[in-house]
Amino acid sequence: MNDDRGNERAEAAARADGEGRPAARAISVGGVLRNGRPAEPSAQDIIFDVQGLRVFYGSFQAVADTTLAIREHEITALIGPSGCGKTTVLRCFNRMNDLIESARVEGTIRYHGADIYGEKVDPVEVRRRVGMVFQKPNPFPKSIYDNIAFGPRIAGFKGNMGELVEQSLVRAALWDEVKDKLKQSAYALSGGQQQRLCIARAIATSPDVLLMDEPCSSLDPIATLRIEELMIELTRDYSIIIVTHNMQQAARVSDRTAFFTVDVKETGMRTGRLVEFDATDVIFTRPNQKQTEDYITGRFG
Amino acid sequence: MTDDRTPHSEIRHRFDTELDGIKHASVALGSLVLENAGRLAEALLESRVDLAQQVIDADDPVDRAYIDLERRVFRVIALQQPVASDLRFLISIIRVAHEIERSGDLVVNCAKGILRQQGFHLGSQMQGVLARLCRAALELFARGIDSLADMDPEAGQRLDHEDDVVDTLVGEFYTLLATEAEGMPVDTAIELSRVGRYMERIADHAVNIGEHIGFAVTGIFPRHGNIDEQ
Repeated sequence: MNDDRGNERAEAAARADGEGRPAARAISVGGVLRNGRPAEPSAQDIIFDVQGLRVFYGSFQAVADTTLAIREHEITALIGPSGCGKTTVLRCFNRMNDLIESARVEGTIRYHGADIYGEKVDPVEVRRRVGMVFQKPNPFPKSIYDNIAFGPRIAGFKGNMGELVEQSLVRAALWDEVKDKLKQSAYALSGGQQQRLCIARAIATSPDVLLMDEPCSSLDPIATLRIEELMIELTRDYSIIIVTHNMQQAARVSDRTAFFTVDVKETGMRTGRLVEFDATDVIFTRPNQKQTEDYITGRFG
Repeated sequence: MTDDRTPHSEIRHRFDTELDGIKHASVALGSLVLENAGRLAEALLESRVDLAQQVIDADDPVDRAYIDLERRVFRVIALQQPVASDLRFLISIIRVAHEIERSGDLVVNCAKGILRQQGFHLGSQMQGVLARLCRAALELFARGIDSLADMDPEAGQRLDHEDDVVDTLVGEFYTLLATEAEGMPVDTAIELSRVGRYMERIADHAVNIGEHIGFAVTGIFPRHGNIDEQ
């Protein structure tokens, strides 16, 4: 801190500042991303441009008007209490909600400028480019090798499958642990290894976005740390959107954080709403909305 | 959601109670130093060697209270993983506690000077300027502690303005000392110049306290802007 205000004042006066005091410019403590990039990149960095997204299940509105932009090679965390719609929003990014009959999505989600809900868009192609890792590791009842090869085979992959499997496992930081037992059942792996296998499986089809729905909630702290390190590593090639209930995890790994809350109407209808979306360090040091502050400091309600 | 909240709120309530306790402990630390500073002013102006010794003796409770406060803050950071305004508050308290503790040490340094000199026996003009300097510096320090008690976001800027008065008085004190030094022993002149310096620093610590409180409340630290511009 200031060791000598008298001297500082003299120096400031020498700089011909009107009042002889150092010119103070108020800025926030935040606004710098995990990797040191500025919080306001150019528009070209936007991979998903979400405008006025609303999600309904029948007549029930699950998510209110949501507008946000997801940037390339970043980790975006979606946080909020149960029922706030964060998982519903996550599932919109690869049209997983299409699998629920009563689900209806309004508004637009542009992926590199193209509306993923456009009439001619094939949801399967969307899901190939936008992979998903679920809360509970869900390997297929197959060998480690076949778990990775399954997706590319279905997609008609004609290249060297062995290479692809190895490359995917290397990227998922699992290769060294499984290279000698590729033919063994995936179920023989630990929970953390199974989750990394699921990540390897997701990246085997060459997506450029990974959606992660509470990927560490069933893992111990060491396995969680490995997944978190892997996520940061993966941002070199992919963009990641993660739903997490673990706010420390959101703070540790993400570049930006979106906080959702749930509005309960008189009819009892509960609708999720985006409250604040900003650089993660802003959200966790100086959030702009009181609801965000109350939630992250544990004082919601 | 109500059912979910009940145990959750109890835990938060305990956390809030601890934050309140930390705030009270930091104000109490400030009050200890302020009280000792008042004792020092009297010792200085009335050449009271006995009071100067009391000032020195009273520093132990200050140090104990400082260490205790620091431990409480570390513990709550480790156990509660605070964020946002809670984190800013706790970080600011650590800083504020340091400013207060340093001010306490400066008060003791002055008292040691009184002991070494067996009291300063000053002429009336010198005595007058020193009295005004002590009053201004200690008033500013008291306002710093007030800003902590009130969590006043504006205090930093205001105290910075008010610090000008102290700096002017320090200048006046040094000018007078330069003319009167000829008639006094060298070591006395040196001790007096230290007193002037310590009073100036105590006032500076008060301004810093105000700025830390502003950061705790608003998340904005004016000095960060200057650093970023360099």
